[in-house]
Amino acid sequence: MEKLMNQLSENILDKFSMDYLRNQVLKNAYGNDDTVIAGLDPRILIAWYLFFGLVPWFVNDLSFLLGSFLLVMITTLLARVAGLVLFLFGLGVFSQTGYLFLVTLLFGGDASAVAPLLILTLKVATISLASVTVFSGLDPDKLSNGLMWYGCPERLSFSISYAYRMLPMLMEEFQNVLLSYRLRGNPPAHDTFSGKVRYLIYQVKIIMESFYPLMLNTAKRSRTTVEALELRGYRYAAVNKTVKKIRLSALKVTYNDLLFLAISVLWVALCLLCSTLF
Amino acid sequence: MNAVEMKGLTYTYPGASQPILKDITLEITKGDFLAVVGNNGCGKSTLCKVLNGLIPHFITGDFQGEARVEGLNTLENDVSALAQKVGYVYQDFENQIVRPTVLDDASYACLNYAFPDYLERGREALRQCGLEGRDNAYIWQLSGGQTHLLALAGAVCLRPDVLILDEPIAQLDPMHADRIYDVLRELNEKQGKTIIVIEHHTEYIADYCRHVLLMKDGRVQWLLPTREALQRVEELEECNIFPPQVTQAAHRLKKAGVLPQDVPLPTTVEEGKKTFSSLTFRPAESVKPAASVGENAISFRNISLSYRSVKGEPRMIFDGLNLDIRKGEKVALIGSNGAGKSTLMKLMVGLLKPQSGSICLFGEPVTQKKAEDFSRQISLVYQNPEEMFIKDSIAGDISYAMRVWGVKDWQERTDALLERFRLQDLRDRDGRLMSGGQMRRASLAIGVALEPKVLLLDEPTANLDIATRREIMGVLEDMKDIIQTAVIATHDMQLVCQWAERIIVLSGGNVVADGSRDEIFSRADLSKLVGIRPPEIFTMAQALNPQALCYTIEEFTRQFQEAAAWKS
Repeated sequence: MEKLMNQLSENILDKFSMDYLRNQVLKNAYGNDDTVIAGLDPRILIAWYLFFGLVPWFVNDLSFLLGSFLLVMITTLLARVAGLVLFLFGLGVFSQTGYLFLVTLLFGGDASAVAPLLILTLKVATISLASVTVFSGLDPDKLSNGLMWYGCPERLSFSISYAYRMLPMLMEEFQNVLLSYRLRGNPPAHDTFSGKVRYLIYQVKIIMESFYPLMLNTAKRSRTTVEALELRGYRYAAVNKTVKKIRLSALKVTYNDLLFLAISVLWVALCLLCSTLF
Repeated sequence: MNAVEMKGLTYTYPGASQPILKDITLEITKGDFLAVVGNNGCGKSTLCKVLNGLIPHFITGDFQGEARVEGLNTLENDVSALAQKVGYVYQDFENQIVRPTVLDDASYACLNYAFPDYLERGREALRQCGLEGRDNAYIWQLSGGQTHLLALAGAVCLRPDVLILDEPIAQLDPMHADRIYDVLRELNEKQGKTIIVIEHHTEYIADYCRHVLLMKDGRVQWLLPTREALQRVEELEECNIFPPQVTQAAHRLKKAGVLPQDVPLPTTVEEGKKTFSSLTFRPAESVKPAASVGENAISFRNISLSYRSVKGEPRMIFDGLNLDIRKGEKVALIGSNGAGKSTLMKLMVGLLKPQSGSICLFGEPVTQKKAEDFSRQISLVYQNPEEMFIKDSIAGDISYAMRVWGVKDWQERTDALLERFRLQDLRDRDGRLMSGGQMRRASLAIGVALEPKVLLLDEPTANLDIATRREIMGVLEDMKDIIQTAVIATHDMQLVCQWAERIIVLSGGNVVADGSRDEIFSRADLSKLVGIRPPEIFTMAQALNPQALCYTIEEFTRQFQEAAAWKS
């Protein structure tokens, strides 16, 4: 039993290593570029998201919500979203509503609390999954092109794709700085309970202290990046309308996009029909 | 028309009291392949940034005189106009890549400058740089050498007439380095581009460049054809530039009167064959290094390790690796980029855990403990010194480990270390703001602060000029008594030959060769397999006499003499 516990705690630690996080970020951004969702036109997908990200807030109809939830669940599966994101989603939904149910039960409530809570949960879940589908199903470049088409400033869309380009590098750098602390540090013994607490405090402190070298190293790196961006015409492009046109000309609505829209519309219509029938 | 013309150029960085470029007048002909050499901080990079207009348009400062590139005055034209004439590849080229996929990055500049055929131009640039077929690869899937080629492609796509590269091969193994230079030669010969490299690997200058420009203290000393330039051995050495080993050897032999005074010094092995043809070889009494039979310092048993990959199967680095490193050994770990050298070092200090197998440090298993438990016995100096600076001053960084481990006389020891590594004057400076050589010395001081029994160095001489490199090697020699066992991962074969007693060659996660330098370098199959290459002087000696195994210039000059000298 003890062995199992040991293994479990080690596994959790292993899962949350920097390396794992970095891998998940990359996976989330670029690991699923061959899925059905990734192949869709970002403009269509953003419009689709506007519907499923907003409408559920204002509708209380159970069969509509249930239907929408099923649909976004399927799209999430189609988008092959990374494990960590799904875990965060689960945690998020629970922290929003799941605990309310537990508290209700604890204070003598009964199953009648389920119905209103279910509606709230469905709303939150649908909206979250729709976001997950769009933001992690599309790679950042397509997403930013889509946003640009809708008139978002070019700097925003550049920032999105650049952040994804930088994030893995930052995390690697952070990991190395943390490793420096580990290589040279002398953490408190952590056999006893109070030792464990001290060890935890020590680790949190180290993580906080690591930010200082991280920031400086990043600043040093970005000096080259800023110069290179200048040379490669980033500022020039920001004020040039033709560049935007060229960039957006790569966007094309295909048969698949229309099919995707048609299925979504049909499905929603079906759900609405159900709710009027029953 | 000349590609570059400068007249009376003087430039001072904002806030600096001294100009960094002083009264530079210079002409570079179209289609030249020029190497710019000079001491650290002599203004080489600054000169190149004048050419692409970053100075004075982006980095201000006091600018006097005139610079013209392809007829365009750099003062009158803005950076974007100049960028289409001059391509620039930085020394830290990975920071110059801003897009996630290969084709995307290669065509990025063309898109920004609104060329409708930007993708076609990007593809063409990739083709010219030998990255064909990797269009949709993500940049983190590329090796170090390929990343450099991509940075080059990003510059080539604008079809500039002039290409500037700052230390293009500092971090690359010889095979990748050759690749870069072959690409550059092709661009130079087939596309007629003018190529300017800042370079201190004179072997490459001798093989590829047409002219050499020597800078000293912000001034141009001379611009000469390569052969003539590399003959000026003393002048170059004064600026910490070391001519090819063949040239140095001939220079010494000439000085000693072994070679006639009127022969020109050879700069390549081919030329050396003729110059040295009058000499005969006498093998030195070989001193067999005593086979070390000491106990194991580190031992690996059946190690398997794989990295998570973004897509698909995890990437296997080691599969059943077995290796022993004994006490008192000086081990060099060599192999191409990505052969697993750094990973192996991280395993030794316990920063990475293998999926299976066991690692023992002085008989104690590493796998079950944390990295912290070993920090007094083994120490790792990273390839990138910046990542070792965790405090805001060098003195703080060096003393950190001693303080947290409660070393009593940590203050005295910090002072002693600062002195030994010549860092006393910089003690309160942040490590990141120092020069490359100073950073490297500081990272070494941090690494040896706890007086570990085993010291691991990852690429300690990358990016360093020869003088700093010598210094680093001197320090290693000095500290022999404290550090019993040392392991260095490196591409620097001169370092390997001068220092290492045992060489371990890694390839694809396996130890493909393990032995003394004679055993390693006399095997022709190895260099083909893993792209390692002996130092030039070794190749020279082999070309003269297949029995000759000379690893240093001293050995060469001792073993190759006039026939008459041997008789007496």
